[in-house]
Amino acid sequence: MRYWTVLAAFAVVAGCLLLGGAGMRPFGAPRLDAMDQYFNARSQAEVAANNVVTAIVFDYRGYDTLGEATVLFVAVVGVALILRRVKR
Amino acid sequence: MTILAILQVLVLILIVAGSVLAVWLKDLLASVIALGASSLLLALQFYLLQAPDVAIAEAGVGAALTTAIFVLAIRKTRRKEEE
Amino acid sequence: MSVVVRTIARILIPVILVFGGYVILHGHLTPGGGFQGGAVAASAVALLLVAVGAPAVKKLKAPFSVLEDLGGVAFVVLGFLGIGFTFFANSLAGMGGLFGAPVPSGPNPGVLNTAGTVPLMNWAVGLKVLGGLGAVLVLFGLFGGDDDR
Repeated sequence: MRYWTVLAAFAVVAGCLLLGGAGMRPFGAPRLDAMDQYFNARSQAEVAANNVVTAIVFDYRGYDTLGEATVLFVAVVGVALILRRVKR
Repeated sequence: MTILAILQVLVLILIVAGSVLAVWLKDLLASVIALGASSLLLALQFYLLQAPDVAIAEAGVGAALTTAIFVLAIRKTRRKEEE
Repeated sequence: MSVVVRTIARILIPVILVFGGYVILHGHLTPGGGFQGGAVAASAVALLLVAVGAPAVKKLKAPFSVLEDLGGVAFVVLGFLGIGFTFFANSLAGMGGLFGAPVPSGPNPGVLNTAGTVPLMNWAVGLKVLGGLGAVLVLFGLFGGDDDR
């Protein structure tokens, strides 16, 4: 009984994922590329960086990098709190 | 079908094989090594899809650091999985 | 671990550190950047930890923690440099000073002295990631006694 329940849940989840995959665009063909064209055209003039990915990460989307740094800091603080040496 | 597409399919099959092996093996150290190999192949797949930034991050974090942390954890605990 | 692992680690660790520094330093020209280079350099710490054991590298915990804090503070300070325009505005790009050389449009060979605050932020984030992941690795290795099996 339990086996069939697990199998049915697996079939439902796999069917939903395959249904979503069937509606995907062809590989390498994005439709909304206005933002990409903006970054490709302007990053050399505005940030003076040849690497557009780094220009986006550290300049246009600097807040995201700040959040990533905060996540890393919180992770390190959590590990240091849990794994500290407790004095007995 | 070009040679690049065949290579990508081969790498994807190897990734799935490594992941299944990581779940299936009873020796946890061998399982961690299989997981690291799968992660390294995932980095190769990112490189083949022309995302070298993600490939470097995946190779550094997924293949090296995760494997090292798992090896340290296994060193502190048991090596064999019990039924 | 065995002497083979220790010998290989002694050869490989400087190579890994130099490659991590290269990825950080050329982050605004080639693929990579602060996070990737810091992760590559932290993998050298992982190799050292697995090779010689955690008690031998216990002293590295405090410098890594300080490095993590310094990197985070430097990143926020560099973000505040452009506060006259907006937060995270690139106030050094194209000004002619430090990292301020202009870049011609189109494909061109990269010059290291470009991109304004981006290389400095790369260094800040790279040191932060190296310090954070290194401190996490040393703490994991030191947990639960000093046995080295």
